[in-house]
Amino acid sequence: MNNSNKNNMTIHLKVWRQASNKEKGKMESYTLSDVSPDMSFLEMLDQLNLKLMKEKIEPVSFDHDCREGICGMCSLMINGHAHGPQLLTTTCQLHMREYKDGDEIVIEPWRSRAFPVVKDLVVDRSAFDKIMAAGGFVSVNTGSAPDANGTAIAKVVADEAMDAAQCIGCGACVAACENGSAMLFVAAKVSQLSLLPQGQPEAASRVKSMVAKMDEMGFGNCTNHSECMAACPKGISVEHIARMNRDFLKSSLLQ
Amino acid sequence: MSSETGDAAPSGPKFSFLILQTSVGRKYLVAITGLLSCGFLLGHLAGNLLLLMGPDSFNSYAHKLTSTSLIYVAEAILGVIFLVHLGLALKLNWENKMARPQKYVKKKTFGPGENIFSSTMPYTGIAILVFLVLHLTQFKFGSVYMTQVEGVEMRDVYRTVIEFFKNIWSLVWYCVAMSLLAMHLAHGVQSSFQSLGIRSKQIGQWLKCGSRIFAFGVPAGFIFLSIWCHLQ
Amino acid sequence: MSSHKLDSKVPSGSIDQKWNQHKFQSKMINPSNKRKYKIIVVGTGLAGSSAAASLAQLGYEVSAFCIQDSPRRAHSIAAQGGINAAKNYQNDGDSVQRLFYDTIKGGDFRAREANVYRLAQVSTSIIDQCVAQGVPFAREYGGTLSNRSFGGAQVSRTFYARGQTGQQLLLGAYSALMRMVGLGKVKLYPRREMTELVLVDGHAKGAVFKNLITGEYESHAADAVILATGGYGNVYYLSTNAMACNTSANWAAYKKGAFFGNPCYTQIHPTCIPVHGENQAKLTLMSESLRNDGRVWVPKKVGDTRPPDQIPAEERDYYLERIYPSFGNLAPRDISSRQAKNMCDEGRGVGSSGLAVYLDFKDAIQRDGKSVVEGKYGNLFDMYQRITAENPYDVPMRIFPAVHYTMGGLWVDYNLMSTIPGLHVLGEANFSDHGANRLGASALMQGLADGYFVIPYTIGNYLAASASKKIETNHEAFKEATEASLIRENKFLNIKGSKGAMEYHKDLGKIMWDSVGMSRSEAGLKKAISDIQKLRHEFHQNVNVPGSAKGFNPELIRAFRVSDFLELGEVMARDALERNESCGGHFRDEFQTEDGEAKRDDENFCHVAAWEFQGVDKAPNRHQEKLEFENVKLSTRSYK
Repeated sequence: MNNSNKNNMTIHLKVWRQASNKEKGKMESYTLSDVSPDMSFLEMLDQLNLKLMKEKIEPVSFDHDCREGICGMCSLMINGHAHGPQLLTTTCQLHMREYKDGDEIVIEPWRSRAFPVVKDLVVDRSAFDKIMAAGGFVSVNTGSAPDANGTAIAKVVADEAMDAAQCIGCGACVAACENGSAMLFVAAKVSQLSLLPQGQPEAASRVKSMVAKMDEMGFGNCTNHSECMAACPKGISVEHIARMNRDFLKSSLLQ
Repeated sequence: MSSETGDAAPSGPKFSFLILQTSVGRKYLVAITGLLSCGFLLGHLAGNLLLLMGPDSFNSYAHKLTSTSLIYVAEAILGVIFLVHLGLALKLNWENKMARPQKYVKKKTFGPGENIFSSTMPYTGIAILVFLVLHLTQFKFGSVYMTQVEGVEMRDVYRTVIEFFKNIWSLVWYCVAMSLLAMHLAHGVQSSFQSLGIRSKQIGQWLKCGSRIFAFGVPAGFIFLSIWCHLQ
Repeated sequence: MSSHKLDSKVPSGSIDQKWNQHKFQSKMINPSNKRKYKIIVVGTGLAGSSAAASLAQLGYEVSAFCIQDSPRRAHSIAAQGGINAAKNYQNDGDSVQRLFYDTIKGGDFRAREANVYRLAQVSTSIIDQCVAQGVPFAREYGGTLSNRSFGGAQVSRTFYARGQTGQQLLLGAYSALMRMVGLGKVKLYPRREMTELVLVDGHAKGAVFKNLITGEYESHAADAVILATGGYGNVYYLSTNAMACNTSANWAAYKKGAFFGNPCYTQIHPTCIPVHGENQAKLTLMSESLRNDGRVWVPKKVGDTRPPDQIPAEERDYYLERIYPSFGNLAPRDISSRQAKNMCDEGRGVGSSGLAVYLDFKDAIQRDGKSVVEGKYGNLFDMYQRITAENPYDVPMRIFPAVHYTMGGLWVDYNLMSTIPGLHVLGEANFSDHGANRLGASALMQGLADGYFVIPYTIGNYLAASASKKIETNHEAFKEATEASLIRENKFLNIKGSKGAMEYHKDLGKIMWDSVGMSRSEAGLKKAISDIQKLRHEFHQNVNVPGSAKGFNPELIRAFRVSDFLELGEVMARDALERNESCGGHFRDEFQTEDGEAKRDDENFCHVAAWEFQGVDKAPNRHQEKLEFENVKLSTRSYK
């Protein structure tokens, strides 16, 4: 319960420090003692920052917000794993009990040409928003919707759409992919809307626009290693990529 | 609500430019050319199995194949398929390198599709290209012997093949090349189905299984034949 | 105690006709003129995104601002349980009237009748809109929408998308917003912190924002400003709110003259994961839906430290079932939370801290089987296990109340306009619809109602009447506001003290939780006021803000926010002190019935308290808006 618990650990951190996008970065080493196993990973970084501030060193910038695994704000490549070693877990849900006394933890920002570093571990993921603005929606103005039960949707279809819709837009798929590809992110939205009848009228233009925008943003290409699926904290399947590929082919040939 | 926004919805690029201008389109072409090459491999293997029937059958088959002028068309098409497959794959690979200018200090991989086969695709691909060139010089443009089958003068390709595989080092080289081909196919075939969007929850496992059988079965067939030749 | 400024502008007529009448009587703006009006929307949660998208669809020129890197990350995303709507799809007797009544009663008769009725009326359209956007609500095998009963309701009117309803609704609103961004109808400004509201001739005509990446200040002029900036639960430091949730934009408006309504009304959610240690930064909510199957209990004996499986049934006190036989474990949030606190105060709390009660699924697992329970709550159980390293299938969960939602907020009239003309406030940021306690699955409903279906109609009333004069950012008022922001920022950077803003935040949180939390007393509140004043004084002498004004500096922004919380906390305590009654989430020890239930004073406190800023170290003025109840009878809220 308190700071000087006998279970507390000493952790050696190697953290990417980069003052801004214009400056070069490098790894810095810090040692943090009194790390409680009950702490979350980000609380450990909070503690590091308090320590650094006491030592008049500028604290490490990292993105975080809801700290319950849903907002998608947190990131971090932790010892080579996007969001850390635990499957289906965001960095904010990772706890220090995953580590043991004396462990070394290497922390880096997401690396992608499309996600330039803002500062330290913070990157700019606005490329995702631009992809969404290109077509990740159903064009329905407020007020023009028919009754919600007007169109029946099979439970299995709604469930599968929900599987895809769970994407939190964190960018772990891009970060983990050997090629920095955003296919899983784009496919999750394309697939969700292509499964549902509401998404049908724009299905063809949506997939074409979103793929074109994805390429324009500078992401890499999919080589079907499924690294994205393994890193995805929501476990979104690469089957959605297959569905997007199918939709893209269909829309290219037929519409 | 007014329809201020009603008809301004963005529309995607037109088809004519699309296929080659998008990553997904290029992947289709890599997948399709890859699968077509697999078709060629299958045909090649079927033809080679005639070796087991003896010199006359094999030589007649080879003669029939090469005596029509359609062979030039077929070869040209094959050449284009290989070149498109190779060229696009290299381009995609280059783009992938560019997509991450700053590498990770520490990066682990643990994707279910991540294995020795998938991570070595560019290398096995290049190796297959080298093999292909040598293979053509060794057989198509290799030692020419002549023979007669049922009174028809033709090339004795059978002898060229048997002589080649009599050499243990040639056999070893060939088996290594076929193993690399198997590696390439082990990821490539099933990956093609994913790229073309054919994979789904329902048939995913079947496709994967079938792809693996093909990927290892076809090179194994070639290896079997090469060893058979060696033992003649 | 003048309240001449508090004209609620509730239309006349019968309650079911008020909104229709009001829409008809509202001023219209010609479609081709709408593009001449510029509207700033601050915040992109459910209320902000839906408002920005809907207004842009109407043709207004909209600029949307958010503090995160993307509008999709607003904290609405974390809502788990569901959204209410009076669809009556289940044929179980629901109606607009019933949703209205439940919400008024749930809020302990401290909300404005007309607003709540309107909320119930538009609730049905929200579901239609969301489904049309592709929100994958849960469905029955026949393909129709599924509903569940939620948060003390006796009908099944809650629509849900697994345990991620807020996420799906927000992504729906976000997609509508991004569509308008793609069409060039909304300009999007992420990573912007609003530091000043700009008034010209007393009207809200723009705002100054700090660009969180460059550190520069940016001025934006508009014909109207909408704040949809969420609640202020983080004043308690530990809450279920996201780390970045703050009151700063609202506070900037308050300091410019917007009245703050009912600041003491906060909701403490009963089912959160207990605090684990001093370094904890955030509490995690477990969906209230867990109480549909979980049974809440503590040991009967004080100081019983046996593990739960060794406490036999007859030695367990299923206290919610005992005290509230008709609602049992589904008693409303404020009541469940307070009873949990009572149990712990009696020394019957569990876990190493003694600050927790059990939520036990053993009976549900025995009755329905593990797979059924897993199907319903699997993701929540996983989340619990990840955080606590305990398996809730085997041992009961430990839960404890945590600050979750703030019913108070900037005072708004029926048009959702604050006391500053042109400044509109939506969603959790306003005070309007939940009274003294919010029912489960009502926050999502209110946010989207305000954004999709109320503000698009009511903003015209202001714009048509008053927004003819165009203001540009070269106006003197913008220079002054930017200057004020710069002065404040430099002041923080130059203190160079020894204690981080986070530590002050933690100190403030402790004062707030202990004295302005689940139960409040006159003595405690008075002490809290003076403690907060002292802490605020120390903060301005000794806070350590590293880094510089330029570039990305989260610690500087944290200092801004903590500074505002240190002022807000005092106003909350003052509001709680003045409200000499117990109602909903506001429980004063002095005002309770013999069996410990909240005792309202309808004669003296059936009003909204709206606070007017007078200066940081001066007591604010308290104004009243009398609440008239014409359609429901004020009764004692009983869930027994």
